[in-house]
Amino acid sequence: MKQVVLELKDLRKSFGDNHVLNGFNLKLYEGENLVVMGKSGSGKSVMIKCLVGLMGADSGSIKIKNDDIVSLGQRELDILRTEIGFLFQGSALYDSMTVRENLEFPLRRNKDKINTGQTTEELVVEALENVGLVSAIDLMPAELSGGMQRRVALARALILKPKIILYDEPTTGLDPITSKEIIQLMRTIQKTYKTSSLIITHDVDCARVISNRMILLVDGINYAEGTFEELSTSEDPKIKAFFKN
Amino acid sequence: MILEKTNSIAVKTKRFFEEIGDMTYFAIRFFKEVVTSPFEWKELIRQCFQMGNRSFLLVGVTGFILGLVFTLQSRPTLLELGAVSWMPSMVSISIVREIGPVIISLICAGRIGSSIGAELGSMKVTEQIDAMEVSGTNPFKYLVVTRILATTLMLPLLIIMGDAVALFGSAIVENLKGDVSYVLYFNKVFDALKFSDVIPATVKSFFFGFAIGLVGCYKGYNCSKGTVGVGEASNAAVVYTSMLLFVIDFIAVFLTDIFF
Amino acid sequence: MKQSAPHKARVGLFVVLGTIILVAALYFIGNRQHLFSKNMEVYAVFQNVNGLQLGNNVRYSGINVGTVATIEMMDEATIVVQMMVEEKTGAFIKKDATATIGSDGLVGSMVINILPGKKNLLTIKSGDTIDTYSKIGADDMLSTLNVTNENAALLTADLLKITNKILQGDGALGALITDSLLTQDLRATLQNLKQTTDDAGGLISTLHYKFSKVDMEKSAVGILLNDTLVGHQVGGLITNLEQSGVDISETTQQLNLMISELQDKESAFNYLTKNETLPKTIDSTMVEIKEASRKLNENMEALKHNFLFRGYFRKQERAARKEAKSRKE
Repeated sequence: MKQVVLELKDLRKSFGDNHVLNGFNLKLYEGENLVVMGKSGSGKSVMIKCLVGLMGADSGSIKIKNDDIVSLGQRELDILRTEIGFLFQGSALYDSMTVRENLEFPLRRNKDKINTGQTTEELVVEALENVGLVSAIDLMPAELSGGMQRRVALARALILKPKIILYDEPTTGLDPITSKEIIQLMRTIQKTYKTSSLIITHDVDCARVISNRMILLVDGINYAEGTFEELSTSEDPKIKAFFKN
Repeated sequence: MILEKTNSIAVKTKRFFEEIGDMTYFAIRFFKEVVTSPFEWKELIRQCFQMGNRSFLLVGVTGFILGLVFTLQSRPTLLELGAVSWMPSMVSISIVREIGPVIISLICAGRIGSSIGAELGSMKVTEQIDAMEVSGTNPFKYLVVTRILATTLMLPLLIIMGDAVALFGSAIVENLKGDVSYVLYFNKVFDALKFSDVIPATVKSFFFGFAIGLVGCYKGYNCSKGTVGVGEASNAAVVYTSMLLFVIDFIAVFLTDIFF
Repeated sequence: MKQSAPHKARVGLFVVLGTIILVAALYFIGNRQHLFSKNMEVYAVFQNVNGLQLGNNVRYSGINVGTVATIEMMDEATIVVQMMVEEKTGAFIKKDATATIGSDGLVGSMVINILPGKKNLLTIKSGDTIDTYSKIGADDMLSTLNVTNENAALLTADLLKITNKILQGDGALGALITDSLLTQDLRATLQNLKQTTDDAGGLISTLHYKFSKVDMEKSAVGILLNDTLVGHQVGGLITNLEQSGVDISETTQQLNLMISELQDKESAFNYLTKNETLPKTIDSTMVEIKEASRKLNENMEALKHNFLFRGYFRKQERAARKEAKSRKE
């Protein structure tokens, strides 16, 4: 049995009368690619934000490497967050900074977390090499295409060499070819750095390529769990709705 | 129908008070975070430079025209009373005490407040603020504290500069229309100005700066999703700031009245 | 950190109310409305309140002590004014204090001034009525000023006429002031005097030299000088000279005195008006001095010839002696 690196138990979150999460459970094992699929507005993003403490959950426990993040203080939470890479939906590069500064940003406070003895410059270049964009180092995010922005964002998520990477809709807003490139990149990185990945998406193609295991998020709970093949051949109408094209 | 209207008024009133309460907590959080480490010195200095630099020309031009027009417009009245020689003292006191700080603050509310609102709003919408938080930097410290501090520190400087340029504009009018030499004009200005005019105005402008930063940051930081939210944030920042500026000025004038 | 909506609303309400209360408090403190101090009522009856309004200040010896509360007209010449006066300062107002209505600056609003009484009477109580004293209003004052101005204008016109006449030289005063001849005479005389004194100085030193030579060497001149006749003549001349010197110094002293006195006064006009006989004296003095110096000059000339050219001396001998004699007399 592989080690559990991340566990959600009975997670609940509501905004007013809108109950987004009604007891969601999830376990992420070391080295696997877990895809959480759900419709838009089904609470995937809320779930992932609760996971890193960007949002407070109403109830339930969130365990990352045996630490319950609800009980952690700001400083401990910050330390724990260096173990997690987060790729945001819209890349979320800082507009006012160059690519280099964007990548240096996570290193400002947490340089000592990386014990490779590399300089900041070397780390930045290495991260950009991983995504194949060393030439863009001094450009502003606005000068990059959507695919390149996503790749820079990926580089930024990787710069602290995290053990867990959370992908929030890694392929939204990208054309199919660029999407494939990004998915390919995600697989390469996963192999290189032996990370565990939690991918949130509604893109079936993405899920097919990358997933080891899938969870379907419907009505705020983990409606179904299994591999892509198992789920895509299911007869349940709610599950079928995800896979029919 | 009537019930509906009263309901919506009640809801709006409640919203209004909620917003003010929220802003109060925002301000309290600012004061908590401003005294605790880590401090973002580099970003603070960058913001100070940005704000001062970006508003420099605008404040200069506005101040110049303000002094020019103010003098031109009050000249005929003073001429009628035969009191043109009082122009330097009248203009300097009214500009330094009241008109300069208020007008320049309003200009800066439009310039700085809206840009803070829009910048933070768009950062919020595109999840840049979240990205900052997960990369171990407290975005409140990095974005909000530095900006509020920067406006608080820079606005008095901008106002002093604006006042000086306004007085210069006024001196030009007097020089052209009234054959008053610049030396005489500024001699009269410094004769008329007392510390009890300058100090309350300067203290007041710190609060103006704080208000501009606070409202701009609050609106941007709590921006609702979508590009519409960004627009609303920057717009609301200006409107709320302008209102708040007048409230602060109102209180400041009363306090000045009592203590000076 | 996260607060519930009703909680936020309460905080917001609190902040807004707090701000309003703060502003109100500042307003009342700033206006010194005596919100919390105890007031007492004081009444005063006027015939005319000169535009006094409710809320106008009441001053006691120049200190703001209260405001006008009501103004009520009882009949056409009786207006009762009720004033709210601070109890603290009101305790100093005596029963014989008087109230007047004045204005606060030229264009300011009206104020009631309570002037302290003269005698040490009891202090007033709430509800008391104090005496009033109606001052002339600004209008009355201005009309009086107007009359005064007109009078002043007439006066100035008359004065102008007089001064014009003086300038033109009409009358004795005018003549005195405008007589430029007098000054010229004075100046010429002084110059003459100076010339004479210089000459005398030169002559005396020459004489001294000559005599010293005569003593040492028994030259022809010495013999000549030993001649009693010549000696007498020279002696007389010297006495003459001495006399002239004394005269001159006396005159100079007088002149000095006169001039310094002239300088002491602010103007000649001032002095001359005071001393009517002086001009005449000066005139005659001038003539005398002129005459004296002329004669002295002649003497000098003669003496010079006496020493340098013997022939000339002898020719003039008789005349010179006669002259010296007449001088002595």
